[in-house]
Amino acid sequence: MVKAVNVSPMTRIEGHLDIEVDIEQFNGQWRVIDARCAGVMFRGFETILAGRDPRDATHYTQRICGVCPVSHAMAASMAMEDAFDVAAPDNGRLLRNLVLGANFIQSHVLHFYHLSAPDYVDTSGVLDRSPWIPRHTAEDMIGGDDAATIVGHYLQALEIRRKAHQMGAIFGGRLPGACNFVPGGSTCRFDRQQIDEFAALLTEIRQFIDEVYVPDVRALAGHFTAFTQLGQGPRNLLAYGVFDLDAAGADRLLARGRYEGETDSYHDVDALKIKEYVTHSWFTPVCGDRHPSEGVTEPDVDKQGAYSFIKAPRYEGAVYELGPLARMWVNGDYRKGISAIHRIEARALEAKKIADAMVGWLEQLQVGQAVYAHAATPTAATGTGLTEAPRGALGHWLGIEEGKIAHYQVITPTAWNASPTDGLEQFGAIEDALIQTPVRDSENPVELMRIVHSFDPCLACAVHMARPGRRARRIHVAG
Amino acid sequence: MDLTRRDFLKGAAAVAAALGCELPGVRRVQRALGAGDDAGLPVVWLQGQSCSGCSISLMNSIEYGSIRDLLVETLDLEFHRTLMAASGDLAVSAAEDAYEAGGYALIVEGSIPLGAGGRYCMLWPEMTALDGVRRFARRASFVIGVGTCGAYGGLVAGAPNPTRARGLGTRFAGKTVINIPGCPSHPDWIVGTVGHLIAHGSAPKLDRYGRPEMFYGQQVHRRCPRRGTPAAHTLSDSGCLRHLGCKGPWARADCPVRRWNAAESGEAGVNWCVGAGSPCYGCTEPTFPDRMSPFYDLEA
Repeated sequence: MVKAVNVSPMTRIEGHLDIEVDIEQFNGQWRVIDARCAGVMFRGFETILAGRDPRDATHYTQRICGVCPVSHAMAASMAMEDAFDVAAPDNGRLLRNLVLGANFIQSHVLHFYHLSAPDYVDTSGVLDRSPWIPRHTAEDMIGGDDAATIVGHYLQALEIRRKAHQMGAIFGGRLPGACNFVPGGSTCRFDRQQIDEFAALLTEIRQFIDEVYVPDVRALAGHFTAFTQLGQGPRNLLAYGVFDLDAAGADRLLARGRYEGETDSYHDVDALKIKEYVTHSWFTPVCGDRHPSEGVTEPDVDKQGAYSFIKAPRYEGAVYELGPLARMWVNGDYRKGISAIHRIEARALEAKKIADAMVGWLEQLQVGQAVYAHAATPTAATGTGLTEAPRGALGHWLGIEEGKIAHYQVITPTAWNASPTDGLEQFGAIEDALIQTPVRDSENPVELMRIVHSFDPCLACAVHMARPGRRARRIHVAG
Repeated sequence: MDLTRRDFLKGAAAVAAALGCELPGVRRVQRALGAGDDAGLPVVWLQGQSCSGCSISLMNSIEYGSIRDLLVETLDLEFHRTLMAASGDLAVSAAEDAYEAGGYALIVEGSIPLGAGGRYCMLWPEMTALDGVRRFARRASFVIGVGTCGAYGGLVAGAPNPTRARGLGTRFAGKTVINIPGCPSHPDWIVGTVGHLIAHGSAPKLDRYGRPEMFYGQQVHRRCPRRGTPAAHTLSDSGCLRHLGCKGPWARADCPVRRWNAAESGEAGVNWCVGAGSPCYGCTEPTFPDRMSPFYDLEA
C-alpha cells in the first residue's frame, strides 16, 4: 500500500517549495519510494533584465534572493568584468570578499539555528508562543535542559547574525542588498577606523562560531546518529569555488572541482559541460538540452508529466549536489560522509574557515590605495561569472548587444539541488536524498523536513527565471 | 561631513516620541486593545513573489527593539513561513486559525502576480497569493505592504512585468494600506510603524503613496552629507554623486540620517548606500525600478 505525504508549504526555507513523497510499508516501517520537489513561484528575471543597462545587473540580481544577495552581486560583477575585460584592484577584491564572507556567516548561522534547529528540538515549556507553536513532535527530539540551552543559543544567534550583517555593511553600505559591488571592484573607500570596527565584530562572531555554533552542531551530530546515514543524495558534489586569494582568480579559499561518488574520484569543472533539461519542468522541449549561454525559456503549461518550474541542471548529464559540503569536500577540508548531518556539520566548519580567513583579508587592506578600476561598457560582449552562494555554486551568463543586456541567465545552487527529475529519470539531489527515508508519523514528517532543510534550500533563487504556466493538478491523499 | 551622533539622536528621538512608548512595553497597550496577558499584536505575514530580503532586513532590527523582543514579547507572529516551526498542513492551520480569530495585522512581502489566474505564486496548495491576500485582508485590522514589491510591485513588476505583478497599492480589499517600501525596507521603518499601530491603534500620517511621513517625508538629497560637496567624477571618488546617476533628489527616505545596520539603539547605522560610494537608486519609490533606471550614469 502506497500513501502520499505532502509537506506543502515547506517552511523554514527561503521561498515557495512543495514536497510530495510516496511512502510504502516494508517490514512494518514506512519508507519513501518516490519524491517530487516543486518550485511554485515565478517572476521572470531574464525577461525583466533584457534591454537594461548591464551595470544594473548587480542590483537586479541581488533581488533574486534576500538571503544570498551578495553572491549574486559577486557573480554579476565577475560576469561583467569578464565581458568588460577589467579586473578589480586588490583592495576591491578584498572588500568584496569581506562583504561576501560576512553574508556567508550570517546565512550559515541563520540556517542552523533559525531554519534547522526547530526540526530537532522540543521547545515546549521554553518557547510556547507563535511562531514556535504550532510545532511538530518526534520521539527523538532533544528536550529538557538541553533544549533550553539550544533555545538560548537560538536567541543569541539572532543577535550574532544581525552583527554579521552590521559587519558586512561597514564596507557594503547596507545588508541585505550590498551596494558597493561593481565591475572593476568596489565603490567604497575606507579608513582605519572602519577596519577596526570590522575587526572587532569579526572577533566576537568568531568566538560565537568556535564556542557555541560548532559545539552545538557536534552535539547534534552525536545525538542524531541515524541521520548520518540518511539523506545521502546522488553522492556527486560540485563547486565553482569562491573567495579569490589573488588578482588572477586562480587561487581560491575554497577550490573549484567535482567529486564523483561512484568512482570516488576528483575532477575539474568545465562550465561548458553544464546543461539544463526540462523533461519534468513546465517548459517546451526546445528549452531543454541547452547550455545557459543559450538558454531559452518558453512555458508549456499543459505539458504532460511536468511538476515544477525549476529546470534540471546537469553536468555531463549527471546529477550533482552543491553547497558547503560540496565545497569543503572538494577542498579537502571535510570528507567524513554525505548525509543530512554531514551537510550541517560541513556548513558550520565552513563558517569557521571563512571567518578565520577574513582576519587575514582585513590585514591586507591598504588604506588610500585604489578600490575600483573603471572600464567602459562594451557595445557587444559576453561574460561568465562563477562563484558560490552559501547554498552552493552560482553562475551568471551575460550577453551584451548594443551596450544593453541581450541575454542574462542565472543558474543557482538550489536549481541544482531542488531540481525535478530529468529525462533520464534521474531524481534531483533533494528528491534522491529523500528516497528510502523512514517516515514514522506522516502527520509529523520531521525526517523529511530534516533532510530537505539540510540542503538549505532557497527557492526564490531556483525559480527566478521560470516562466508562467498552469500547475498540474495534484491529488492530496490523506496521510 | 558626516552627521554627528547628536544630529541623529535629535531626529530619532522625534520619531520615538511619536511612537508613544518603548516597544517591549507594549504588552500593556495590547491588553488595553483587548488582547490577553501574554498576547502580542497578532501578525499574519504572507510572502508573494518575495526574495525574503525584507524579512532578513527585519531581523536586523535594533533601534526600536530587537527581533528577539519582537518575537518573544511584542508580536504574535501567527504565520511567517521563514521562521515558523510548523510545515505543511499544520502551518496552513495556523494561518486559518488566525483568520478565524481576526483582528491581526496582515503584512504582505513580495508582489502578487495576476497572470495565469494568480498561479505564478502559490501560498500553499489550492491557495494563490492573490486569493490568499484578498482573503486575509478581509479580517485584518491593518493591511501593510512591506518592501517596494509588497507596496507597489517593485522590481518584479519591472517592464515588461511578465507575471502581471502588482503591490497592494494605497487601498486593497476596501481598506487603507500602510506601505513601508524599500528594497529592502529598513527594519526601523517596519518596526517603528508597527509600534505606532500598537501604541495608538491607528496608522501614522501617511503620504499619498501610503508611506508613513515620519520615515519617508523628505528626499534623500535634502539631508545628504555629500550635498554641496564637489562632484565625484568616477566611482569611489568622494563627493556628490549627482553626475554618476544618484536618485537622491527624488527618492524619499531618511537613509542619510538613520543609515543602515546600526550597532545599537540610539546610534545611526554603520553606513548607507551613498556613504559606501553607491549612487542612491531610489528603491523606496513607486516608480522603482523603471523610472530610476539606469542606476548608474558613468559613460559621460
